[in-house]
Amino acid sequence: MIRFLFKGLLRDRQRSLLPVIIVASGVFLTVFLHSWLTGVMQDGIELNARFITGHMKIMTRAYSLDKDQLPNDLAITGSNELTDSLNSRFQEAGWYQRIRFGGLIDVSGSNGETRAQGPVFGIGIDLISGNREEIKRLNLETSVKSGHLPRKAGEILISNEFANKLKVRVGDKVTLIGSTMNGAMAMYNFTIAGTVEFGTSSLDRGTILTDLIDAQAALDMEDACSEIVGYQKTGYYDDELASGIEDCFNELYSKEDDEFSPVMSRLSEDNQMAQLLAYSGKFSGIMIAVFILAMSVVLWNAGLLGGLRRYGEFGLRLAMGESKGQIYRSQFYESVMVGIIGTIAGTILGLAASWYVETYGINLGGIMKNATMMFPSTFHARITPAAFYIGFIPGLVSTVLGTMLSGIGIYKRKTSQLFKELEA
Amino acid sequence: MISESIITIKGLTKDFPVGSGYFRALNEVNLEFGRGEFAGLIGPSGSGKTTLLNIIGSLDTPTKGEVIVLGKDISHLNSQESASLRKEKLGFIFQSYNLLPVYTVYENVEFPLLLLNLPETERKKMVMEALEWVGLTQKVKSRPSMLSGGECQRVAIARAMVKKPIIVLADEPTANLDAENSHHILRTMATLNQELNTTFIFATHDEKVISYLKRRITLADGSLVSA
Ligand SMILES: Nc1ncnc2c1ncn2[C@@H]1O[C@H](COP(=O)(O)OP(=O)(O)OP(=O)(O)O)[C@@H](O)[C@H]1O
Ligand SMILES: [Mg+2]
Repeated sequence: MIRFLFKGLLRDRQRSLLPVIIVASGVFLTVFLHSWLTGVMQDGIELNARFITGHMKIMTRAYSLDKDQLPNDLAITGSNELTDSLNSRFQEAGWYQRIRFGGLIDVSGSNGETRAQGPVFGIGIDLISGNREEIKRLNLETSVKSGHLPRKAGEILISNEFANKLKVRVGDKVTLIGSTMNGAMAMYNFTIAGTVEFGTSSLDRGTILTDLIDAQAALDMEDACSEIVGYQKTGYYDDELASGIEDCFNELYSKEDDEFSPVMSRLSEDNQMAQLLAYSGKFSGIMIAVFILAMSVVLWNAGLLGGLRRYGEFGLRLAMGESKGQIYRSQFYESVMVGIIGTIAGTILGLAASWYVETYGINLGGIMKNATMMFPSTFHARITPAAFYIGFIPGLVSTVLGTMLSGIGIYKRKTSQLFKELEA
Repeated sequence: MISESIITIKGLTKDFPVGSGYFRALNEVNLEFGRGEFAGLIGPSGSGKTTLLNIIGSLDTPTKGEVIVLGKDISHLNSQESASLRKEKLGFIFQSYNLLPVYTVYENVEFPLLLLNLPETERKKMVMEALEWVGLTQKVKSRPSMLSGGECQRVAIARAMVKKPIIVLADEPTANLDAENSHHILRTMATLNQELNTTFIFATHDEKVISYLKRRITLADGSLVSA
């Protein structure tokens, strides 16, 4: 009997191939959307990590307590040696010194008078050493709106909007007025090599990017830096790995009674990032849930229609002496079979597509003309373990549920009524 | 006159709910059928023929009255009991053949035997025998879509007869057939009636069918006119 039904299932494409295709498409979309959203969320987190928190970050204890003030008098000293030892001890990640500083940018006219002035937030990172890691990480290359990346000492990048406000152009000289590590006043001349767009208004309003060595020179911070950021070499934040490195580092280097001793924190300990992580988890959860629900309704309907279409057949089988329960059960088995085959096919396709987009990314540069540092134009999917099973919810559960619900019609209708469908 | 009563109908009334009231499709019908009858319910459209046939076939239940088929009271069967009555003792033939399109002639005829859980060798013997009755042994592998209307109805007869049921209920079996095919299948059924002593009950207003009947039961507006 089972073989008989199976034969029919295989021969009737409307009953097998079509539902399998519908299920597979739904599952494909679910799996792909899941990986896509996860990827976009991850990218969001990574972007913040690239600019602000790193996957891991080392500051002095005192600096970390007051970090919003950019207290460079509390900076890490002997930072070159520390960075070197980090790079050799914790090779799962790359370690980079950065300096964050505040100050004023002064633009002088031809006679030395101040032509324009504005408060500035500055980041000193490795731009000209020849190691292009940081340049790549911050997506600088494609974010340059005019001019070029700094090529030699004394050259800086300035945010586009800030440059417009100050009415400066590529090639103009500006003076940074700030304070040295020791609290003295610092004045340092820079040449604008290029303008960039960050894509977030708080940074676009007034930010400069200088080479690390320049920043150290300007602020009297030889062999010192505000922070050392670490990035896991996989490119993605892994909390477990970060936590392990953090514990190990703090054990070795950090002394609780020494406020100048370095201390490491990881991305998920940053308040905002923790929120973002939680939020992104929730957001993609909701999105996926909504999508699964929508898919479920579609597949449910397909199950329903598939069942309705066959009321005639059911009528005949009842006349032949099958009980309603038997028919209902055979419908159930059929939908389980269709659901499983469709879900497996859809999951495989979805994973394949996700893998492609994870590996190569989708470049939306055509649509988004203005690539900025915070919003790169290439998006990546990200396959998580959930992608392997999430398709079963719409694929199997909804298909079977839809069939079962349509099957209730078998019970609800009088036998003679089902039978009437035969005559139609 | 009736040797062995296998269907007894007493005071059968069937009402269908229509809007807030009901429509009386059968009104106080009393009837009896014996083993081996070749009988027909005749009457104009809407007179209640199909309704009566469905109740005899335990596909529908009486509103009032008693219908005993092969010792079973139709009103008191649950869905499983009525299914097994149909499975073991009854055969159905329909106006529109109702073959399962994805199965071959052989498989369509085999279907009722699968429900009875008969072993494969026995099934094969019975299917081939049934196809022989209707003269379709050459078409075992054909799909219904490849057959003519007459051939389809012959497959349907083979399907109804393959398990050698005690009663065959045939609702307008010739309505979709031309004269020649109608006579062909009627002769086949008359022969089977003789050879296997199967009781045939038709619902029809086809003169050709009526001419073959040994007993004519006339219905009008749900009431028995003559039996
Ligand atoms: N489910 C139902 N609900 C309401 N009325 C019904 C239902 N089934 C049948 N009837 C009515 O009962 C009456 C008898 O119907 P039935 O199908 O038994 O007629 P019939 O004699 O077989 O007619 P035909 O020769 O056209 O097949 C008809 O008037 C029909 O409209
Ligand atoms: Mg009728």
